[in-house]
Amino acid sequence: MNSETQVFDLYVRGTVPAAMSGSLIIAASRRHKDRQRFLRWHDSQADLIKLDVRPGKPGRIKATILSVDPWKFCNTQPRATPFYPSQPNHGVNIDGHTVWATNLLFGAPLEVDLPSWKPRRALRMVPVTRDAPQLSSTSHFAFDLDHRFAYFHESALRQGERTVHMQDLVIIRLDAKTGSERVWGLVPPVDDARSEVHNFHSAFYFEENGKRFLGLLRTGAVVESLAQHQIPSEHAVVPMQPSTIWIVELDDSQSTLTASLLPGIRELDGLALSHLDIDASSRNGFTLYANYKQADVGEETHGVNVYGEPPEHVAEHYAGMTVEALNYGIVLRYERINGVHSIRTFSRPYNPKRTSLGHSWLPINIELDSSKQWLFCSFAGFHPRLLPTHVAKVYTERVADLRHIRHVPPLLMRFRAVDLTPDYDDQRTYLSYTEPIAFAIAGTCPEDFLWTFSPENGLKLYRSHDFSQVVCHAVSPYLMNWRDSHFRPDPAHMVFVQS
Amino acid sequence: MALRRPSVEGPEFARIVRESNETIRKLEENRFDFDTVPELFAKDAAADVFAKEIVHVFDGKSMTRHGRLVMGGVGTHFNLMGPIPPNAKLQITPTTILEDVSRALKSKGLRDLPEYRKLGAVEEIAFYNYEIFYTLRDLAFWLVLHDAGSFPSSLEVMVRHIAAGNIVQSNQYSPRKASKDKRKPALMAAGCLSVSFPTSVVEWMDKPIYGGLARDTIHVETLLTTKKTDVSHPYLPLVGEGKIKLKDGSYFYRRFNGITPKDGLRGPDIRAENAEDRY
Repeated sequence: MNSETQVFDLYVRGTVPAAMSGSLIIAASRRHKDRQRFLRWHDSQADLIKLDVRPGKPGRIKATILSVDPWKFCNTQPRATPFYPSQPNHGVNIDGHTVWATNLLFGAPLEVDLPSWKPRRALRMVPVTRDAPQLSSTSHFAFDLDHRFAYFHESALRQGERTVHMQDLVIIRLDAKTGSERVWGLVPPVDDARSEVHNFHSAFYFEENGKRFLGLLRTGAVVESLAQHQIPSEHAVVPMQPSTIWIVELDDSQSTLTASLLPGIRELDGLALSHLDIDASSRNGFTLYANYKQADVGEETHGVNVYGEPPEHVAEHYAGMTVEALNYGIVLRYERINGVHSIRTFSRPYNPKRTSLGHSWLPINIELDSSKQWLFCSFAGFHPRLLPTHVAKVYTERVADLRHIRHVPPLLMRFRAVDLTPDYDDQRTYLSYTEPIAFAIAGTCPEDFLWTFSPENGLKLYRSHDFSQVVCHAVSPYLMNWRDSHFRPDPAHMVFVQS
Repeated sequence: MALRRPSVEGPEFARIVRESNETIRKLEENRFDFDTVPELFAKDAAADVFAKEIVHVFDGKSMTRHGRLVMGGVGTHFNLMGPIPPNAKLQITPTTILEDVSRALKSKGLRDLPEYRKLGAVEEIAFYNYEIFYTLRDLAFWLVLHDAGSFPSSLEVMVRHIAAGNIVQSNQYSPRKASKDKRKPALMAAGCLSVSFPTSVVEWMDKPIYGGLARDTIHVETLLTTKKTDVSHPYLPLVGEGKIKLKDGSYFYRRFNGITPKDGLRGPDIRAENAEDRY
């Protein structure tokens, strides 16, 4: 597969406000329409979508889709192996004119030049070997308070007897001003030493008492097989352990940094701590907002579901999709000031009789508005027929009551950042069900906007304080498909860049 | 949805209108939560779209969809609802375009698909009592008035469409012989439904929501365009493409057949959302 670019206009209904001049960046993947094929979501091809937004009534929105060649920046590995250098179909990190797009778990970040929308390089800082032929890296980078430095981790992946192990952990700092890099070795905390769980979905930066720190959300996905299954049948699942957060003091005088655990996180007993936003502007501590998916994110859909239905009887089943949650998730607020921390959480099942309360099934995105007073979260909901029985059966203590649980619709909800309470009102302006999970906050206080996007539903714009009325809606069938063979499932993330 | 109160005569109707208004007032005061108006829950889901044969005509400025829908239902009266753009033109009008396309492509339409042939006999019916809803209140009022009820998750789909500036259209339909058995619902086919709206791009339809009878939808969809296109269906495989000559001119065609899942599916033997469950 070679890199290719597709350009087209969306059909816009409504108005694109003047403040929305800019670009929206989305990392998308593809799924084959043929349900008989097994294609693991980590490994599905990446399409990087850039939506250039020009204000007006109706305005203009132009899409440029870059199809990524996962082998483009590698001359040392044969293309025949399943271990590509970069397959960035998940995360988007942006600084100035540079985009770093990432996978959920596998491969190195791909650096893309934003104005030309062309890939520059894959950031492979850890060498791969025959024994450890694949890399893992942070999906969502940390940025320092001046947005000069970006931080992420990388490690090599080695197939062990029962699981994949992470080795050669490093922290990488990219300097946006000079283009240079700094690499530190990373030593795990002594009380979180199991190398099969050392993967980190997101990172954050903060300062405290004049020192600089990096926080790493240790997601803890356990992957049994480095290569995708040859036969997608039920298999033994090694259960995940509760997530933790590693804290690392950044010290330029050292070549190796040692992590410690952020207190109070492991005790929450949540699985798959993954996405975050942070307010560290005080330069003395931080307020972290993050979510636990309560899903075994190292697995994927295949095999018989929890109702005993084989995949061929389940039309919504595509083998290798992202896994469903075991139960409703948790949104976390962690405040640390002068070394003292306080924790608040939001977690709620779906009650169809009281939809105005919202729910927390499979939290995906989490983002503060420009004032840091409001927190926006998207939740993917639940598709009970897509939960494989071989995954659920190792989590009998955690899994929802399958005799009563039904489909739970996706949800977008606004919270008060100070205490994580939903921002209730009588007009239900604070929540919207059946929304796409990818969203981006744009604009500046007092008029923030919120974009939502999925290939099928298109691009929608709301005022962030009112989800009861769309400001503009733009669609195109070319967002939905790659040629006739693949469709693009809902991407998880989107980032807005003001022009 | 199945309508448990399709029509009521005279003074009784005035009373039901008043009571339905009161129910909706309570619903609005309670942020559209069903807990204070449990009577709004649909009592038993018993209607679904089983199959669709659709011709989409796109000329670069507008889309026109001509559809033959095959519905299944348990009960005597039903309604079919769906969102459309507010500047759409909805018509129930005789057309032979579905047959003309199939004839030109040497196809039997839905009968090409074994899943459809397995359904058995289908009765031809006609839609009637066409309605348009501009607000969630209007829609909910109508559902209460006709004792159709709704499910909170389904209603949220309409909330999203109304927020995006769409309107909701509804058509009623009835079989000559009603079914009382979920395993053998009455199958009804209605052609002649067409909707046309301005757009510069091809726009596909949303997936139907699960109505308790058919988890999947059987499709035969043909896209006709005045210029050659490579637009694909989001889920269905391409089964043919080329040029086609119809009564009103020549078109490029792309044809997509197959099965898609409904939205809102649940496990086997799991009840629909209902007033009795405790949370």
